[in-house]
Amino acid sequence: MCVLLVLITVTNTYSQEQKLGEYDVKAAFIYNFLKFVEWPDKASADTTVNLCVLGNDPFGSAIDSVQGQIVNNKRIVIKRHNDTHALGKCQVLFISRSEKEQLSQILATLTGMNILTVSDTRGFAEQGVIINFYLEENKVRFEVNLDAINRSRLKISSRLLSLAKIVHDSGR
Amino acid sequence: MKKACFTLLVSLLLTVCLAGVSEPGEDLQQDLKDLSIEELMKIEVATVYGASRYEQKVTEAPSSVSIVTADEIKKYGYRTLSDILRSLRSFHVTYDRNYAYLGVRGFGRTGDYNSRFLVLIDGHRINDNVYDSVSIETGFILDVDLIDRIEVIRGPSSSLYGSNAFFGIINIITKRGRDLAGVEVSGEAGSFDTYKGRLSFGNKFENGIEMTLSGSLLDSKGQDLFFEGFDNPATNNGIAQGCDYDRNYSLFSKLSYHDFTFEGAYVSRTKGIPTASFDTDFNDPRNHTVDALGYVDLKYEHDFQTQAHVMGHIFYDAYGYKGDYIYSGVVNKDFAKGEWWGGEVMLNKTLFERHKFTAGGEYQVNSKQNQKNYNEDPFEMLLDDKRRSKRWALYIQDEFTIFKNLIFNAGVRHDHYDKFGGTTNPRLALIYNPFETTAFKLLYGSAFRIPNVYELYYTVSPQKGNSDLKPEEIKSYELVYEQYFSKTLRMTFSGFYDKITNLIDSTIDPSDNFLVFKNVEEIEAKGLEVELEGSWDSGLKGRISYAFQDVKNSKTDETPVNSPKHLAKFNLIVPIIQEKVFTGMEVRYTSKRKTLAGKEVEDFFITNVTVFAQKLLKGLEISGSVYNLFDKKYRDPGSGEHRQDSIEQDGRNFRFKLTYKF
Repeated sequence: MCVLLVLITVTNTYSQEQKLGEYDVKAAFIYNFLKFVEWPDKASADTTVNLCVLGNDPFGSAIDSVQGQIVNNKRIVIKRHNDTHALGKCQVLFISRSEKEQLSQILATLTGMNILTVSDTRGFAEQGVIINFYLEENKVRFEVNLDAINRSRLKISSRLLSLAKIVHDSGR
Repeated sequence: MKKACFTLLVSLLLTVCLAGVSEPGEDLQQDLKDLSIEELMKIEVATVYGASRYEQKVTEAPSSVSIVTADEIKKYGYRTLSDILRSLRSFHVTYDRNYAYLGVRGFGRTGDYNSRFLVLIDGHRINDNVYDSVSIETGFILDVDLIDRIEVIRGPSSSLYGSNAFFGIINIITKRGRDLAGVEVSGEAGSFDTYKGRLSFGNKFENGIEMTLSGSLLDSKGQDLFFEGFDNPATNNGIAQGCDYDRNYSLFSKLSYHDFTFEGAYVSRTKGIPTASFDTDFNDPRNHTVDALGYVDLKYEHDFQTQAHVMGHIFYDAYGYKGDYIYSGVVNKDFAKGEWWGGEVMLNKTLFERHKFTAGGEYQVNSKQNQKNYNEDPFEMLLDDKRRSKRWALYIQDEFTIFKNLIFNAGVRHDHYDKFGGTTNPRLALIYNPFETTAFKLLYGSAFRIPNVYELYYTVSPQKGNSDLKPEEIKSYELVYEQYFSKTLRMTFSGFYDKITNLIDSTIDPSDNFLVFKNVEEIEAKGLEVELEGSWDSGLKGRISYAFQDVKNSKTDETPVNSPKHLAKFNLIVPIIQEKVFTGMEVRYTSKRKTLAGKEVEDFFITNVTVFAQKLLKGLEISGSVYNLFDKKYRDPGSGEHRQDSIEQDGRNFRFKLTYKF
């Protein structure tokens, strides 16, 4: 009874106030990441950066706000994919939660492609996604898998790493 | 209890208001793209439930789990592992001023040296091979400052871990070198002339090597204690002077490079015995014990691209115990020496997408399990028992995701002992998540503990060994309901039923009045637990729990000794100055417990308060703690070796701590 009473009070106090959408903020993060990641030489001649979303798109219009923006003299182009066939052109690939079951195959396909993989699903970083968002006390945080960076041949600024929770491939 | 409930309610309400005040009411409608990553990290978002909730992992765990982090250890002013564990739902700790004994769910076997809990440090088992003991007070092998987090798993887990995983597992993960990232010096001073120091170094270097090195020293003079039973002029009017001293030193090292991790640790603790246990001379400061434990462990872990994970480790451990017991001025020396080595291999692999297999094997050689006892002068050898043994085990577990919201977890382990033959133990769990925020877990498991060489072969008056002992067994059923409310609150409801057969317990043989371990009767336990946990942005964090536990000897229908019916815990961290100053407060309630003499020790509330400050000066952390704030007089039941039926515990005491990092 006592616990119940406490619960009711607590939940009432915490009724939703106006807050920014989780995915608006995540899109802004991805936009920011572009400033801190360097792709190997062959990709640098392109005039666009392809930001791809694989699987069920959780961003909706949130990600469209970065479409056409210029970062490091390159224009951002948003592409949505439902399979792994044409991912070679992506510089950044957001892998949706919906791809959980196929993640290992997806990552295997991406081997050697120099793609910055991003996700927001528990365990994805440990399985080999480079940057994985998580929430801590309702704030967006991200973890970075150092082993995955080493495999990707991307250069990630230490400033970005200093803000990240560092993880490694693991299993247990 | 009603009054307590009211107090808790008020404090919770208060905290909610505080949290509300400290929340930034900013109107963040500016263009997010112009913000830096640091700024983005400060924004609070409206979450999609469970989208990326790491904490929710607990809902998929096939047991009832509590986690304590380094942050909480600092803010609650925890000094020892026993401080940490006694703050957790359904746990209670009994201290006889020599060793501390852990109890859970109504089982509190004083004198069992914690042999019914398996304690792992970074996956390395630290229970010794003579008593199966683990020191959880100042004799614990790790300075609590080096702990990154502790996972406490309730219920039997022999299906993965074998012997000792009887009532639960305490899995300790140490900090990594990079968590220290430099040199840390820590000093503390406390009541009863207690001083402690620690020097640590840790880092991760460019070449991939990561290391931690740490050493700690503790010296406590202790108290002059009064014991009623000895209140006559021949025994210093019941006052034990200078007999409560406690000294230890410990070393820890960890070195990792790529897939390899080497770990080494050592502790030695010397404790005076003020209680004159085992009928020794009262008020003789020479009565004392020394326990030392050391291990080296080399681990290899590798991940394959094919979602497979391999872990293998080899280890060598040594344990030594030395006790001086004074009988009418004659020094009696009691010794134990254990050495063991072995290895373990484990493989995890995801198969057919829906199955996560774990399989492994373990092999251990107990190359020394020796016990010795003699009187010094005149010399008389009373016991010289040398043993060795071997064990091996194979285990397999599968986590089968039947549907996205239904997981079936099944494991079985076979252990083989050269003295006791084989035992097979299953564990089954069905985990159902009807909603992202709700989990139901139905759990069944069994576990065993083989009698240790102390119980089997230690024969020195007034105690004798019993080589006919059989392993004790437990079967446990549990139903857990976990619910997330809003983003910040979690509630856990749990009901359990345990049945223990062949419980090994110290008894008095009526024929000669010797203490002897026997497989006594059957014990049945049932109980209910409820816990509410919350954590808010401002740094506000807390939990409140209540446990009802009804433990009965099935034959006599009596409640065993040291089995509290009710336990309640309240823990709260309140930020005073955002990110800088915090108060950590805890209140523990333990209901009355039966003693060996059939009496009762009273119930009690204990309150501890810590003020913790960080970032006031670069690299500096300061904390001040008051334990047993209201100076409550309370007692723990004694065990068979004590003339005291119950033993008084510490009154109000203080600690001041400074940690500097550079």
